[in-house]
Amino acid sequence: MTLDTGFLDLLRPFLKYVGDKPISADSSLHDLGLDSMRAIELLFAVEEEYGVAMPDELLTDSTFATASSLWATIASLRERTP
Amino acid sequence: MTAAPGYEPALREVVAAAAAGSRHADEAAEFPIAALDAMRSTGLLGLLVPAEHGGGGGGLTELVDVTMGLARVDMSVGLIFAMHCQQVVTAVRHATGPLADRLLPELGKGDVYLASVTTERTTGGHLLSSTSQVRRDAATLTIDRDAPIVTGGRHADAFLITALAPDATAPTQVSLVYARRDQLTVEVRGGWQPLGMRATQSVPMRLTGEIPVDQVLGVPGRFREIVAPTFAPLAHIGWSAAWLGAAAGALSRLVQHIRGDGRGQFDPSSELLLSRLARVRGRLDAVHALLRHTIGVVDTAADLAGPPVQMLVNTLKTQAAEQCFAAIDEMVELVGLRHGYLASSPLYLERVFRDLRSASLNYANDRLLLVNGALALRDREVRLV
Repeated sequence: MTLDTGFLDLLRPFLKYVGDKPISADSSLHDLGLDSMRAIELLFAVEEEYGVAMPDELLTDSTFATASSLWATIASLRERTP
Repeated sequence: MTAAPGYEPALREVVAAAAAGSRHADEAAEFPIAALDAMRSTGLLGLLVPAEHGGGGGGLTELVDVTMGLARVDMSVGLIFAMHCQQVVTAVRHATGPLADRLLPELGKGDVYLASVTTERTTGGHLLSSTSQVRRDAATLTIDRDAPIVTGGRHADAFLITALAPDATAPTQVSLVYARRDQLTVEVRGGWQPLGMRATQSVPMRLTGEIPVDQVLGVPGRFREIVAPTFAPLAHIGWSAAWLGAAAGALSRLVQHIRGDGRGQFDPSSELLLSRLARVRGRLDAVHALLRHTIGVVDTAADLAGPPVQMLVNTLKTQAAEQCFAAIDEMVELVGLRHGYLASSPLYLERVFRDLRSASLNYANDRLLLVNGALALRDREVRLV
C-alpha cells in the first residue's frame, strides 16, 4: 500500500523519537514514541484532516500499531463515507 | 504452604511480628526485618504461586485480604507484601521455558523476597521507557542500572529490573529482567528519610551484573505487553488494598477508643461525631466496593488493554488514594490533637496520616488522570464495566 506523503507529515509531530528519520510503513508507532496521550491527539488530527469519524471499536492498539495499519483504517473509513 | 485460603495462621504470625516492630521501624525508617522473616518462615511470600509449583495457590482476592490484614497494623508492611506479590505474579505469568522451570518452584517455597526496579532518575514513574543501556554478548546481558527508589532493596533476594533491550532502537523497547542478588553487585547509594511509608526503606541503588539472556521475562523489548494485563493491575490493586487496610485499621482503633477508654470525651448523640464517622466509613466502603469489583473485572475481562478496563483499574488507584487519605484526615479532625496528632497516641493515626499522604504520589495521580482523560475520549459510548 502506498502511504499519502501528507499523512506521514501529519504523523511526524506525534512521534517523539522519530527525529528526522524516515517513517516506514511497518515500523511500530509506539516504538517511535506514540503513547496513549499522543494517540488521542493524533486521532483528533486524523479525523480533522481526512473528515472521518473513527468508531470506538477501531480505537485499538492494532489500529495505531503502524503507519500502514492506521492508514488502512482511514482509507476504509473514507470509502464508507460518500 | 497449602492451598489458599489456609493462610490465616501465617498472616497472624506476620501481623504479630509487624505490630511488635512497627513503631521502631517508623521512627528509625528501618525495614521491618522481623515481619519479612515471618513472611519467609511461614511461606506467605509464596501465597500467589500456583499450588503445582509448591505455592499457596492464591489469587487477587487472597492478595487483597492478606495485604489489608497486614496494612491494618502497618501500611509499610502491607505495601512491601503487595509489591512482592506483583513481582511474583509477573514471574508466574510471564516467565517461560527453563527460567520458569527453575524460578517458579523457588518462589513457591515462599522464602524468596522479590523487589521491583522499575523507576529511573530520567523517567520517574514512567514504566514504559528506559535510558538504562544493556549490553549483550552471546549468552549474557550486562546490566548497569541506577535506580532512585527500590522498596526493600537492601533486603531483597532477587529483583525484577526494567532496562532498555540491547538492540533497542527506541527508549520504549524495555525488557523486564529477573536477577538474583548473588548475580548482581548491589550498591546502596543514599538514605531514606521520608514523611511516611518509612519502613519501606526505599533506598537509591545501583545494580550491576552479568545476567543470562534467558532471564528476560516475556518477549525482549516488550515489557509493555506485561504492563497492561499484569504489572499495572497488580500494582493498583495491591496499593489500594494497602491504603484501604491502613485506613480501616485506623478507623477500627478510633471506634474502639470511642467505645472504650475515650468514652468520656465523646457524646454518642453528637450529630457532628455521627456524621463525620458516617463519612469516613462511607469512603472506606466505597473504596472497598470498587476494589472488589475491579478484582472481579480483572479476573474475567477478555480485553484488559481496552479503555473501559484500563480506566477502571486507574480509577481504583486514584480514588483509593484520595478517599483513604481524606478518611484519615477526617479521623484526625474527629479525634482531636492528643490522639490525632501526637505520635505517642496508641491509635497512631498520625503515622497512618503520614503514610497515606504518599498514596496520591506513589505513581502520581496527576499522571494517571491524564491517561484516563485520553482514554475517556476513546470511549464515546461510555462502556461501564
